[in-house]
Amino acid sequence: MYAQDRPITGTVKSSEDGRALPGVTVLQKGTSKGTVTDLNGNFSITVPEGATLVFSFVGLSTQEVPIGTSNVIDVILEPDYARLDEIVVIGYGTQKKADVTSSITTVKSDDFVKGAVKDAAQLIQGKVAGLSVTTPSGNPVSEAQIMLRGITSIYTDATPLILIDGVPGNLNTVAPENIESIDVLKDGSAAAIYGTRGTNGVILITTEKMQGIMPATIEYSAYTSTQTIAKKAEFLMADDYRRLIAQGEPLTDYGATTDWFDEITRTPVSHMHHLVLKGGNGKTNYIGSVNYKYSQGIFKNSDVNRINSRLDVNHSMFDGILSANINILGGSEKYWAGGDGYSFNTTIYRQALIRNPTDAIKDANGDWVEHPGVFQYENPVAWLKETDGENRNQNFRLSGSLTLNPISGLKTKLLLSTHYWNQTRGYSETKNHISNVRDGLNGYASRGSSSSIDNLLELTAEYNKAIDRHRFTLLGGYSYQDYVGENFWINNRDFPTDAFSYNNMDQGNGLLDGLAGMDSYKSSSKLIGFFGRVNYSYADRYLLMASVRREGSSKFGENNQWGTFPAVSVGWRISNEPFLQSLAFVDELKLRAGYGVTGTEPNDPYMSLTRLTYGNRILVDGEWIREIRPSSNPNPDLRWERKAETNIGLDFALFESRVSGTIDVYKRNTKDMLWNYQVPTPPYLYNSIIANVGEIENKGVEVLLQLVPVRTPNFDWISSFNYSTNSNKLVSLTNDKFQTTNDFFDTGYTGDPIQQSTHRVKIGGPIGDFYGYKSIDIDDSGIWIIEDVDGNPVTSNLKTTDDKKILGNGLPKHYASWNNTFRYKNFDLNITMRGAFGFQILNFQRMFYENPTINIRYNVLESAYDNVYGKNKLEDTQEYVSYYIEDGDYWKIDNIILGYTFNVDNVNFIDKARVYVSGLNMFTITGYKGVDPEVNRMGLSPGNDERDKYPTTRTYSFGINLTF
Amino acid sequence: MKNRYIKYFIVTVFGLAITFNACTDLEETVYSELIAEQFNPSEEDVMAVIGPVYSNLRDFMWGWHGFFCCQEECSDIIVTPVRPNGWDDGGVYRRMHKHIWTALQSHTNGLWARAYSGITNANRAIYQIESGNLPISQGKENYLAELKVARAFYYYILCDNFGNVPIVTRFDVEEGFLPEQSTRQQVYDFIVGEITGNLSLLSNDVDQSTYARFNLWAAKTLLAKIYLNAEVYTGKAEWDNCITQCNDIINSGAYNLEPVFSDIFKTENENSTEIIFAIPYDEIYTAGWPVFYIHLKTLHPASQATYNLEVSPWGGNCAIPQFIDTYDDDDSRLESTWIMGLQFASNGDTLRCNLSPEMMGKPLEYVNILQSVDLSGEHEGYRIGKYEFKMGALSGLSNDVPFFRYADVLMMKAECLLRKGDADAAAALVTQVRGRAFIDNPGKSTVTGAELQAGSSYNYGFYESGVVTEPEGGGDIQYGRFLDELGWEFAAEARRRQDLIRFGVFTTKMWLSHRPNGDYRTIFAIPEAQINTNPNLTQNPGY
Repeated sequence: MYAQDRPITGTVKSSEDGRALPGVTVLQKGTSKGTVTDLNGNFSITVPEGATLVFSFVGLSTQEVPIGTSNVIDVILEPDYARLDEIVVIGYGTQKKADVTSSITTVKSDDFVKGAVKDAAQLIQGKVAGLSVTTPSGNPVSEAQIMLRGITSIYTDATPLILIDGVPGNLNTVAPENIESIDVLKDGSAAAIYGTRGTNGVILITTEKMQGIMPATIEYSAYTSTQTIAKKAEFLMADDYRRLIAQGEPLTDYGATTDWFDEITRTPVSHMHHLVLKGGNGKTNYIGSVNYKYSQGIFKNSDVNRINSRLDVNHSMFDGILSANINILGGSEKYWAGGDGYSFNTTIYRQALIRNPTDAIKDANGDWVEHPGVFQYENPVAWLKETDGENRNQNFRLSGSLTLNPISGLKTKLLLSTHYWNQTRGYSETKNHISNVRDGLNGYASRGSSSSIDNLLELTAEYNKAIDRHRFTLLGGYSYQDYVGENFWINNRDFPTDAFSYNNMDQGNGLLDGLAGMDSYKSSSKLIGFFGRVNYSYADRYLLMASVRREGSSKFGENNQWGTFPAVSVGWRISNEPFLQSLAFVDELKLRAGYGVTGTEPNDPYMSLTRLTYGNRILVDGEWIREIRPSSNPNPDLRWERKAETNIGLDFALFESRVSGTIDVYKRNTKDMLWNYQVPTPPYLYNSIIANVGEIENKGVEVLLQLVPVRTPNFDWISSFNYSTNSNKLVSLTNDKFQTTNDFFDTGYTGDPIQQSTHRVKIGGPIGDFYGYKSIDIDDSGIWIIEDVDGNPVTSNLKTTDDKKILGNGLPKHYASWNNTFRYKNFDLNITMRGAFGFQILNFQRMFYENPTINIRYNVLESAYDNVYGKNKLEDTQEYVSYYIEDGDYWKIDNIILGYTFNVDNVNFIDKARVYVSGLNMFTITGYKGVDPEVNRMGLSPGNDERDKYPTTRTYSFGINLTF
Repeated sequence: MKNRYIKYFIVTVFGLAITFNACTDLEETVYSELIAEQFNPSEEDVMAVIGPVYSNLRDFMWGWHGFFCCQEECSDIIVTPVRPNGWDDGGVYRRMHKHIWTALQSHTNGLWARAYSGITNANRAIYQIESGNLPISQGKENYLAELKVARAFYYYILCDNFGNVPIVTRFDVEEGFLPEQSTRQQVYDFIVGEITGNLSLLSNDVDQSTYARFNLWAAKTLLAKIYLNAEVYTGKAEWDNCITQCNDIINSGAYNLEPVFSDIFKTENENSTEIIFAIPYDEIYTAGWPVFYIHLKTLHPASQATYNLEVSPWGGNCAIPQFIDTYDDDDSRLESTWIMGLQFASNGDTLRCNLSPEMMGKPLEYVNILQSVDLSGEHEGYRIGKYEFKMGALSGLSNDVPFFRYADVLMMKAECLLRKGDADAAAALVTQVRGRAFIDNPGKSTVTGAELQAGSSYNYGFYESGVVTEPEGGGDIQYGRFLDELGWEFAAEARRRQDLIRFGVFTTKMWLSHRPNGDYRTIFAIPEAQINTNPNLTQNPGY
């Protein structure tokens, strides 16, 4: 201890509730010397005379306090509404929000959607401008759909790259309760450091981490929830049938009264328990958690049972020169399977909708009532009871890192990770199942398994240096990833008994009769990258980020495996310019501009290779031998799809951060677009080849506005508003080698018996156009009148394919959300609202079931007997016409959560206690007639609201959080 | 000291990472397929390599909207009307029936794509043999000849249906090669040249070893077929050439008429001595689409119980009533070809209608009446029963689909004789074919030359709900009776379109809801999807 050093002690408290803050970082400014506050918010540090202490804590404004005469410094930290000091995860590192030059949105756990959320994506639903998170399915097994800034790639799906603590995973790799923050890298300049798969954006999930000193602490949280159907499809009931029969409709009254929907649904009860154990000293800390969640779906049998466990241990030695991290994620998932590899089987739902409500479930003998001669008509309750199935997934990820800081400012890190996933499937149908009653299978069972191993090695070195007003960070790294996937599947039939279900596969005779199936497959791929990045800042005013990634994928042709993905972005913190210092109300004003290139690789490997397979059989001299044929048209020239994106943005915070926000404008062009291109046969063996053809363009604007209208000790109101718009255009579908005469292709499918494509993708037009016959009227005999190619009316039986027209578009043009947080004393209230506007939906339920002509066989919607166009009852066959395309605009009051935090200062053994009630998907304002206007937006046929889509639900939860 | 170790550590780790070969090695490992470069076929693989040329025929014939539907739906024997349970499919079947198809018709696009798939696979096999990639020590020329004839078969299909198509005979074309279109005459000349040039190299064995492959006789039947239609293709008739080929086959004694008509189409029909060329199917070995699914396409769903089918049928296509009305009452081929009347489950229960309000609960009886192609009852129309539906049949039948059979050779010769003026000789051959059809009344099997020269008994005309509302009859059709004979013998054998064109009926007569819609429709439009991929293609006239 030098003579001029002084020991300083003090306490750090929060301005919000006046409580002590543990874990606050206390640093001597300009050095790496520091400590953290203990559980009671106390700290002690020895610093030289004249030093300044910097107090920082996530979510609170950083405060700098020069030491004065007193050796005691007590500090009260204020919430940081604009969060300028917030740490943003940028990929292979972090950055202060103020230094960020690209378009990145961070959502901290405090702002997550709470309650019984499905997965990580639903946590940030409506929280990130430009990120569309939809939950079109009420199936507890299904994931949310996420799409960032429109459809930029038409061959592979639009799902962003998801990294959990730097390692690729999916939305269910960790339990939502483990997540501390989610960072979304939106623009190309941010995502380019991930080169490949960065095209659809990158979602960085950061799990809860320990920092500093904390005595062993236990946290427990739990909720229980139930659901109701958000909106029920209104089909005819038994009374309606009898009324119609009385009116002379030739329907059949079987004499019973059955509410089929009621028979297959229930009031589901779900619950979640989350236990965390954490603690540590300055050198070693740990956090372990177990998360158990059992969710029931609204349909009987439909469920999912998840256990996720996690252990994260850190140790630092040699005065922080070397530190190590071990992270273990383990999970298992189990759910009922209503078919081979299914979860809930929506056949059951469809059959319940279309089943005659006067029919009985069982006959007098106790047998299921079936009508084997009626096409595609099966007793849904029998389906539920006579099938047995289970899918089990196991998930194990082991990762570890060694970080070495040999000299001040230099950090090198080696990260190793291996991720095992495997799935075991079983499914069976009894002898009372329709598959035997009608089709004579005499019992059916299948088993399957899939597994994959992902390995990752990453080596990075980062160097930080500040010289005068220059600050820079250099990053260099290498990444190696490999993947092996395999699967296996068998089925058998004609079993001696139902007793074995799928557990004694060899008992079936199907194998001997040549009627059993078997299948297995294995594939692998590799991805290798080198990358570098420089961040530079001058005087906290002029910011620069430049990065490049050179990446190779084994999936491409030998000469095209490597691609280079550069990015550059600049920022200007105008608010730090001297000429703006006089404007005291401006806290932050930053202009950003970035450009970056990212790449996409195809999902499937081997497409550049000429592969042969033993295909169909041919009869040669009385024997059926296997032919050898090429598997596909090889494309040795296959290369990266590349997306170049320009993003210009503005960040601002005004009036002590009471008004803050971000505006981003972007344009992204995807070139060398991967697509299954149609080619002539001959010379090609098959009529399509995957090739780099075409270009697609997306443009859009995103606005995030955050207001703090009220900020008082007892009452806070924070309000944030998000808006985004996107438009896309298919620019071309050709390249030098592949030229098309036509400028379109049709996609999407109605299913039988209508059997039409639903969408057309046309060069110069947007993705998502509905394309079909435009109905304009109905004639006296109830037949559609179609507008023909010249605009003249023509009866439906005279229409030709030339008469098809663009009938709308399934991709919303505008998305908006409005989130409000209120805190009054110990109460907190969160309301999340969101909506989508400017799009259409093809209502499949109406297209198939708003038609009285099929009522003789199948139940129909109540509206089927309504007059069409106010004129006549429909007498035409089921058809895809524009009458069933509706505007989809909606506004949802999605998440409401009301919480109360108990005052536990006087309770020794509890540190924190909070209870809450929450509702998800609470109210929808829409003119759409279907069940829910939030329908599928992925792929090339967005806006198709399938007739038996698992209906969405309204979820009510009650939860509790306790810290001991 | 500590720092030095750390430096060593860094140098070592980076050094290892960069020097290891694996660091930048992106070689693919393939597990479940073969890599062509690493696979050297041996002589044992010859048929496996040739295989796709033949296996492609299954998709060609009974793939979705396959050759069968394409040739029958546009003709006067079979129709797929809109049913209470669907079958509008955006009007795709109505367009075939009404001759208002466009270049977007899926039937014709499928036909083109499947035919060229066969051709390209043949070109590939020829290339592999000629280049030595597929070593053949003995009989190399014979394999090549067989492949060229099989390829000519696909070109014959294209010539017949599209006329002006590209001829491609090489597999090793340069990158970016787009085939040039040839005229129908050029295609015809090419086919005739390919077949005649290779006949001598083909096997004349008629046994298991050549079954469902192009032996000499299958090739000669193909050649006869092309000569029979030469006038349609080129404007120049080749009756004598056709007769020569037919005579060779007849004189060889290699084939016979099956004594029982239905045996040609039974489940295990591969030993039939009448079949010259067939597309073999097997419910087990060729399971998985495309399968031979005619039972599913034609039967009412309730008929599943008659045959204990594993899959519910879809209730689609059926006979056009005007054609059924042409049968002689004693012609057993009526019942051998069509399923009619009351239907029963295998246990004897009466099957009942259940698809439409009018018919609900009534016994299912297939009746010889149709409202129109735009609307039909679930029970309307006789169903196709020519191919045996085995009890307990799966999605695909095991019946081989005969493509050329001996009766056809006799009838081709008879038609040529008739057209050359030798009606009596023609009548003798037709009588021979009719022999097995009139077991109960053998006298009726005899037909005279004069009868053959008469018109058709088909009551052509616009038809609605059992009534020919705009009758025009068939009496004016030259050799119309012979066309009727072809219908009775070969109904539902995927050939009616060609026969109607040869007899000048295809684009001139009305039947059911069909009205003539232009002579240019004797060939189909070049599919738009194909023009799209190959800008060298010019659309056929009229479209």
